Amino acid sequence: MLLIPILLPVVGGVFVFRQKDEKTRNRMVLWLTAATAAAALVLCVLPERSMKLMTIEGTLQLALQSDSLAKFFMVLIAAIWLPVAMFARTYLRHAGREQQFQGFYTMTLGALMGLALADNFVTLYMFFEMMSLLTVPLVLHSGTPAARRAGLKYLGYSVFGAGMALAGYFFLSHFLLNQSFSGGGALNLQLAEEHRPLLLCVFFVMMVGFGAKAGMMPMQAWLPTAHPVAPAPASAVLSGVITKGGVLAMIRVTYYLFGPEFLQGSWAQYALLILALCTVFTGSMLALKEKVLKKRLAYSTVSQVSYVLFGLLLLTPGGVRGALLQMVFHALAKDALFMAAGAIIIATNFTLVDQLVGIGKRMPRTMVCFSAAALSIIGIPPMSGFISKWYLASAALNFESRVIGYLGVAMLILSALMTAGYLLPIVVRGFFPGKDVLVERREVGPQMTAPMMLLGAAVLLFGLFPNGLQVWISTLLPQIF
Amino acid sequence: MGTFLLLFLVFFPFLSAYFVYPLRRRGREYRNLYIRVIPGVELMAAVLLLAFPGTAVLSQVCGMGLRFEAGSLHTMLAVLSAFLWLMTALPCKEYFADREGVNRYYCSWLMTLGALMGVFLAADLFTLFVFFEIMSFASYVWVAQNENPGALRAGQTYLAVAVFGGMMLLVGLLMLHHLLGSLIFERMPGLVAALRKDQYGELFAAGLFCLVGFGAKAGMYPLHIWLPKAHPVAPAPASALLSGILTKSGIFGILVTSRYLFFSSADWNMVILVSGTITMVLGAVLALFSINLKRTLACSSMSQIGFVLVGVAMQGYLGAENALAAWGTVLHMLNHGLIKLVLFVSAGVVYLGTHSLNLNDIRGWGRNKPMLKTVFFIGAAAIAGVPGTSGYISKTLLHESIVEYIHELEHLGISAAGFQTVEWLFLISGGLTAAYMTKLFAAIFLERRAEKQKFNAREYMAPATQVTVGLTAFLLLALGLTPWASMQTIAESSSIFLRAGEHHGRIQYFSWINLQGALISLAIGAAIYVLLVRTVFRKKTADGAAYPDLWPEKLDLEDLVYRPVVKGLAFVGALCARVSAGIGDFLVLAGEKLLYLKAPGVFVPKKNENFGVYARKPKRFLIGETFAFDLTLAGVGLIGALTYIIFQ
Repeated sequence: MLLIPILLPVVGGVFVFRQKDEKTRNRMVLWLTAATAAAALVLCVLPERSMKLMTIEGTLQLALQSDSLAKFFMVLIAAIWLPVAMFARTYLRHAGREQQFQGFYTMTLGALMGLALADNFVTLYMFFEMMSLLTVPLVLHSGTPAARRAGLKYLGYSVFGAGMALAGYFFLSHFLLNQSFSGGGALNLQLAEEHRPLLLCVFFVMMVGFGAKAGMMPMQAWLPTAHPVAPAPASAVLSGVITKGGVLAMIRVTYYLFGPEFLQGSWAQYALLILALCTVFTGSMLALKEKVLKKRLAYSTVSQVSYVLFGLLLLTPGGVRGALLQMVFHALAKDALFMAAGAIIIATNFTLVDQLVGIGKRMPRTMVCFSAAALSIIGIPPMSGFISKWYLASAALNFESRVIGYLGVAMLILSALMTAGYLLPIVVRGFFPGKDVLVERREVGPQMTAPMMLLGAAVLLFGLFPNGLQVWISTLLPQIF
Repeated sequence: MGTFLLLFLVFFPFLSAYFVYPLRRRGREYRNLYIRVIPGVELMAAVLLLAFPGTAVLSQVCGMGLRFEAGSLHTMLAVLSAFLWLMTALPCKEYFADREGVNRYYCSWLMTLGALMGVFLAADLFTLFVFFEIMSFASYVWVAQNENPGALRAGQTYLAVAVFGGMMLLVGLLMLHHLLGSLIFERMPGLVAALRKDQYGELFAAGLFCLVGFGAKAGMYPLHIWLPKAHPVAPAPASALLSGILTKSGIFGILVTSRYLFFSSADWNMVILVSGTITMVLGAVLALFSINLKRTLACSSMSQIGFVLVGVAMQGYLGAENALAAWGTVLHMLNHGLIKLVLFVSAGVVYLGTHSLNLNDIRGWGRNKPMLKTVFFIGAAAIAGVPGTSGYISKTLLHESIVEYIHELEHLGISAAGFQTVEWLFLISGGLTAAYMTKLFAAIFLERRAEKQKFNAREYMAPATQVTVGLTAFLLLALGLTPWASMQTIAESSSIFLRAGEHHGRIQYFSWINLQGALISLAIGAAIYVLLVRTVFRKKTADGAAYPDLWPEKLDLEDLVYRPVVKGLAFVGALCARVSAGIGDFLVLAGEKLLYLKAPGVFVPKKNENFGVYARKPKRFLIGETFAFDLTLAGVGLIGALTYIIFQ
């Protein structure tokens, strides 16, 4: 049962490659994604289960389980994957080589599901690398030298990061009670206390390694290179979901291997918190100065995902609540933004921010979605981004170290101001270009606007009624503390 | 019923905003009727709220839940805003007759109404903040509506100040929530009293953040920069609302923080008093210098906000005996809303007739237009505080509260020099108000007519517009002549929310001692007008008079300070960010260079550094050379490891 959401897209993806007829292939991709999403939902409803796939050697096993965190992630992934698949269908007609893209796109979903369902580090690592490898073709899709270089850069950073994490695990595995993930940490605390400095180093290295995927400094550089050259649907999932894959791996390491108890108050926690805050600032600042729209959005992702990491690393229930909310809301909003950027490219071929004067009059629907998502990213009520930022900042203020707490709030607010600075002018000049700018209305088709509007509506609705999601997160929290 | 009414008042405008576009497609008349009916319904609901006070709680909505309550100041401001909305709906049809893209204005206009209701009816600071932000963003459309360069630039300033203010407010609320655990108005005084001594500093900091946020909206110095820019470029009905009621949302927030967090904190009162006084004087001076009709009115708004802030501070100083200060504050808010409605709508009429707001162009346009002249005169008299108008009552109350505190201090034997200065600045600002209003009135209605003006005297004002200005001007007089029956009742019920003390005994509004204050002010005003305005701000020319722009253009807080500072900070920040973000890339580049350049035999095709291949050399050379290189690298690694071991 646990294998279904993994195998379905991976095997199905192979057939997608071979299918030449466009209509059938599109239908196949949609059905495969929908079926995987359905399987994931079924798993969510069912009680927790686990299964062993195979034993590699000794205690090294490949195993899957569906705990509540896995369920949470599966739903998030499926919820993003479906609309983007709908969007990609039309977008790719302009980008060409649909077969290749859609095949890899479908297979990546399987890798992500595997990542969510992994029961121990080895399985997680396997799916993590699989995810990296499968998404590289999405980045270098266009095949231009720039795209190939970006793809390799992405691959290099991801693999190097994952390698760091794996190296850390070699040390860590000796101190574990059992190899599978368990909420609250699997460390043998007695043994671990004796080697605390070493283990903290290991933790730091592993987090920085996985942080590469999540766009944390110092290995964030792949994001702004990969996003502008990748096709819009690929950027959307890279930014919205794949970076969250890195976050998931970091949650697993922090809360399911080391455990918050062991890490609280350590230098590694503080160092990572400061790294995350630096990333928040750097990402926003660079986005403010960036002229290429998709690159600007990529920098924005760098900054926004580090909000999540900041929340996670506070190691308090409030922080995790804020982090998980931020993760979901950022995924929704950022995907809407990237889809809007893609729609703009399709309709007008504009990639620079300066070209977007009057775009709101040309493509009102797209830009309304863009505006809603932008407000959410800034954190303006009643959009959903506000909710997550409120909880993150509250958690920061409740943090034991007042300095870090206030620094965190200051960075969040500073970053919010800069976010307003780099997103609002696009909206404002899009809708208020001035009297002398004449544009004709030329909107993309409903196949592209519909998924965008879906996500845009979700951004607003989750902001008004975040209750259900909060309850879900509340049931999840006791399991990891 | 009360609960339903509250939710209806807040959410009905949001829902109705959705139908503006579909109705326009049906036909323009439907939409024009629609935008008059909606505020009418809203006003009825607001009036009904007087009879059915209640509370409404939407738990869990927006995370923390939204809370609304009616009664006291909440209801007063709700009724006032609904009234202003209805009154500004009436002149819209004529004002926007030949404009395009009006639907988006109406859309945002209705959404702002809902948001404003949310602000005024909020029962906790969180709800207030949510609607405050919606209001800021929805009202942006008003400022940028005309889309000319001036409007776009003013919109930029407006949005920047709004976003900045909103974020500061958010910080303040987060800190308050952290300190107090609840943001519900009623609970806050108790929670503040229970705080430890050492937490007071933090509370004060939180309060200051809130003050910045609310002050930015209210137009308080030094965040007033958007006000004189946004008002002249917005459509006249929107300017009336921006200055008449939107600034009051900021005041409302300041009132909440002052009365529920820092009821009698001397430091806090000092902050409010100083910033209020500066705002009051600066606004009046700016207004005197201005030669643009709407800019003068905007600066005047700023000055009046200063008057209100002084009242807010006096409420704090007077402690339990603050009834007069509270009444004055509330009534001046009400009066200012109504006065600015009359004046801005009149300014809209002038603009429609002349297509200019410059005093030199509109000079004399108002001659032989008795209706306009009358209402403008009443508005000007009311804002200057001429006895008989409602402005006199509220200004007298505010003045009285300062005098009362000076007496109190003298009674205690403490020097009251500071407050005497404030009193004189108060009176001088009142005089300046009279002077710049006289300047406007004389320029528009008494001067010789400027050239190149169209003569459309007969139908210069549509009937609906006449209703607006006539009715409101009548209200100003009616309120001013029956202060006990009308204004005092309003003030008494509204100041319950401000936790004001009670006042016993009948106030002699028209006694000699009270008239004296107004007369001193008016005398100062007359002196300023005769001695200063007639000689310096007005130059005699062949065909009448000219009003030169004497304010140095470079002396602009925004251009002089804010924009350069923001630019500089952005530069420094970007430098830091680029350096820190470059570390990773630099390492990768260094590694690449090391591997590709030093390793012998590697051939790197140009433009494609990533697909390095080995050049076709004889194999044994290649192996030998690369092996040597690898050995070197391995040696470096070994040395590193050894050093580590030795020094460990």
